[in-house]
Amino acid sequence: MNEQLTTLRNRVRAGEHRSLRQDVPIEILTECETRHLSWPRRVACLVRRQCEAERVIIEPDERIVFTRTLPGVPPIYSPEEWAQLTIGRTLHEFGPISNICADWNLLLSQGLLGRKQVAVATRERLVDEPKAVEFLNSAVETIDAVLKLAARYADKAREKGREEIADILDHVPAYPARTFQEALQSLRLCQAVVWLSGHYHVGLGRFDQYMWPFLSSDLQAGNLTVETAEELLAEFFISLNKDSDLYPGVQQGDNGQTLTLGGVTPTGESAVNELTRMILRVSRDLAMIDPKINLRISAQTDLDLLGLATELTRIGLGFPQYSNDNVVIPALVSHGYDLEDARDYVVAACWEFIIPGRGMEVVNIGAVSFPAAVDQSIRVGLTAQDDFEGILNRVSENIDEQIHQLGDAYSRLLLPPAPFYSVFMEGCLEQGKDLSDGLKYNNFGVHGACASNAADALAALKQFIFEDRSISSGDLLSALEVNFDGYEPIRHMLANEGPKVGNNDAIADTLMVKLFDDLADACERYGRTPRGGILRPGTGSAMYYIWLATGHAGMREPVVAATVDGRRHGEPFSANLSPSLGVRVRGPISMLQSFAKIDYQRICNGGPITMELSDSVFRDAESIRKTAMLVRTFARLGCQQLQLNSLNLETLLDAKAHPEKHKNLIVRVWGWSGYFCELAPEYQEQIIARHYFGSS
Amino acid sequence: MTSGIIFDIKEFAIHDGPGIRTTVFLKGCPMSCMWCHNPEGQSRQPQVFRSLAGERIAGKEYRAIELATLLNQQVDILRDNEGGLTFSGGEPLLQADFVAEVIDLLDDVHILLDTSGYGQEQDFRRLVNRSDLVFFDLKLIDGIVHQHYTGCDNVLILRNLHLLNELGKPFVIRVPLVPGVTDTSQNLADIVQTLRDLSGLQRVDLLPYNKAAGSKYRSAGMEFKPDYDETHELNLNIALFEQAGIKVTVV
Repeated sequence: MNEQLTTLRNRVRAGEHRSLRQDVPIEILTECETRHLSWPRRVACLVRRQCEAERVIIEPDERIVFTRTLPGVPPIYSPEEWAQLTIGRTLHEFGPISNICADWNLLLSQGLLGRKQVAVATRERLVDEPKAVEFLNSAVETIDAVLKLAARYADKAREKGREEIADILDHVPAYPARTFQEALQSLRLCQAVVWLSGHYHVGLGRFDQYMWPFLSSDLQAGNLTVETAEELLAEFFISLNKDSDLYPGVQQGDNGQTLTLGGVTPTGESAVNELTRMILRVSRDLAMIDPKINLRISAQTDLDLLGLATELTRIGLGFPQYSNDNVVIPALVSHGYDLEDARDYVVAACWEFIIPGRGMEVVNIGAVSFPAAVDQSIRVGLTAQDDFEGILNRVSENIDEQIHQLGDAYSRLLLPPAPFYSVFMEGCLEQGKDLSDGLKYNNFGVHGACASNAADALAALKQFIFEDRSISSGDLLSALEVNFDGYEPIRHMLANEGPKVGNNDAIADTLMVKLFDDLADACERYGRTPRGGILRPGTGSAMYYIWLATGHAGMREPVVAATVDGRRHGEPFSANLSPSLGVRVRGPISMLQSFAKIDYQRICNGGPITMELSDSVFRDAESIRKTAMLVRTFARLGCQQLQLNSLNLETLLDAKAHPEKHKNLIVRVWGWSGYFCELAPEYQEQIIARHYFGSS
Repeated sequence: MTSGIIFDIKEFAIHDGPGIRTTVFLKGCPMSCMWCHNPEGQSRQPQVFRSLAGERIAGKEYRAIELATLLNQQVDILRDNEGGLTFSGGEPLLQADFVAEVIDLLDDVHILLDTSGYGQEQDFRRLVNRSDLVFFDLKLIDGIVHQHYTGCDNVLILRNLHLLNELGKPFVIRVPLVPGVTDTSQNLADIVQTLRDLSGLQRVDLLPYNKAAGSKYRSAGMEFKPDYDETHELNLNIALFEQAGIKVTVV
């Protein structure tokens, strides 16, 4: 990375541009109320006023411009009106449309004026349909506002003698992009305005697909070299990190600004190109958290690409996350997606598979708490003197009930209009229909959370209560009641001697698979939602691995106290697909084998196998290659999604403070690897020191 | 059917031979090297291992068929990834009957024997014959010094080294570099001299000393007492090997 880029990156990381921000959000409620605007027109008014209020910032060494200066998104309704509007309805998370993916190619290939022409033509055609006209007018208002913002940027650039930037902004986003730089600039501005309109988890989709034609022709024409193209790409990536502290999310950084690379084209050819590799290299060299990268692979993906991806993993950002096309595409098809659309999937903010420009899907309406289902069934079932089968039946019923509660809550879902976002969705302008009224795909996703702990609890129950009979059901219930206080031998047995998920153990894994089958059955039984979609079951846990253990304000699911896997009250569950915390597993191979048993043709909403390796494990070229082989093994075993983490200082420090949570953390010590937690403190300190100096 | 005792099975052991490997650690070792980093591998008996992660028993008995069945679940994957199984320890030669029986029960897979070379000739032959590659430790050539630092003399080891070469099996020599002990110019020169005409030698791996050698003793209820200066700078004399035409890597 050259010096100019390093400076630019460091400046953005230091947040110097934040001093340019305005102090308070603008006020638009007055305008909305005085003009008695409808909801769609209020949203359009919001987009326009935000664009008008943006201050133009052109930094001396920047070529991809736009720096957000507005600190927030103002309300378009008074609290009273809003309450009235939403009474009896369910809002998803914060309310605005989020976590979907635009078809950015519509922008790049048609330009905003091209999209406006479509809107105007449709408006003429549907002149007698007031709702359509109102939507199209709203969309046109937002397009005009963005064009004016771009014109102000062009003027300022010219004023500052930055002719190149001015020329580009004269052309994009109004017209179709002609060069790689124009395409990046057009995307930067329009994606930022989507954020500015209050949407969040605004993904970037198949970036290496829709950007490649521009880059490819620039390279062929000799306008760019690989090196100069990488510099532009790096500038674009840096710009994506500027405003991320203003994005809403559970944690900062949880902003869903993802892009998805590789995979196959809609016709089934390999979609990997030079830009795919370039993105992996630039992201590795920049080491910034945005954009977050997903890489679509298959059993046939070559080791060189996986090796390059592993080099990105090594720097410890927690991506790329891998999805397996061999599994995901057929699963989407069997859930009603057209083959060409399925081949075009991207990964949403976290894990879920969505189709750019064609989905108004709410992929995470909530989580089914497997620990609660299992725990309640065990407590009630043992008291009622059920046999093991009887308890399993209760678990199935409980999961079914949870699905119905979630489904019913979301049958009252209220999605706000989104005229500007709709500009980049297939068919909205063409049919005069806001995306909130539905797109081609309108499914909901629901995750089964914390399956490993729940399956381990069932496995322990089966072995110790029903088979060995080494623990009586009375003792077990009493032990759970008092959080194992005074029952340490029982707890030790449950925690350490039973079959566990993650060790390729037939008993524990079968029970885990059954939980997911129950979930899939329940979703199928639920049938269609009022929005015409289905419920897609998945394997993610999001923050539920903490929330289900400790509780959280507004959480629907019950807190689960001490559990039969030997987990004490308050101790967290394991994340996504990973062994329960504290379980000692033989390693990554057994873990992949365990999770390969899930029927991913039914469980198709995503949720990664989450695996942590110390960054000291893959330091040389040979071990990078072996890690790449491990990723290939993930695909060959038919698993669905993989998140491979290289551990950094923070994790090691946590391992030191809470060793029980990191029993499987492997560190390279000398000519050997060892478990971090089994090293004496001074040696841990030494490794922490080493990592500290090694980290960027 | 024999049974044996192992203290760990570690998958994705990327520094224990080619490709993706799973390493089986046999419990029990005739030697007690002062710098041993797996002290729980020395005794044949299961022992309590207490660490920050809690208490567990290091050492589990397996019947040969039981261990082979477990390992056979993944040999396809290991083979698919240019790897295989590594038998390490402790000292696998000490449980040669068991290890041989396990290997005989395994599906076709690359076998690596990681040994100190200290064992009876017939045991050594049996395991070497069942292996595709051998990692052979060579620590000290001077018998008296060897006795002092490892608790054993090295006659058996040197004899087995030559037997290994005669058997025509490819092997890698691994030399732990312990400051002031194994890294002396004299010892390294003696090692080079010993290896000079061995046709099966693939390369020498030098394993630089790291102060974490003693990290597990407390957890295993044992005492780490090096009589050398751990902080002393290493004599990493690669040239000595290269001059003799021996391929050398630092691991």
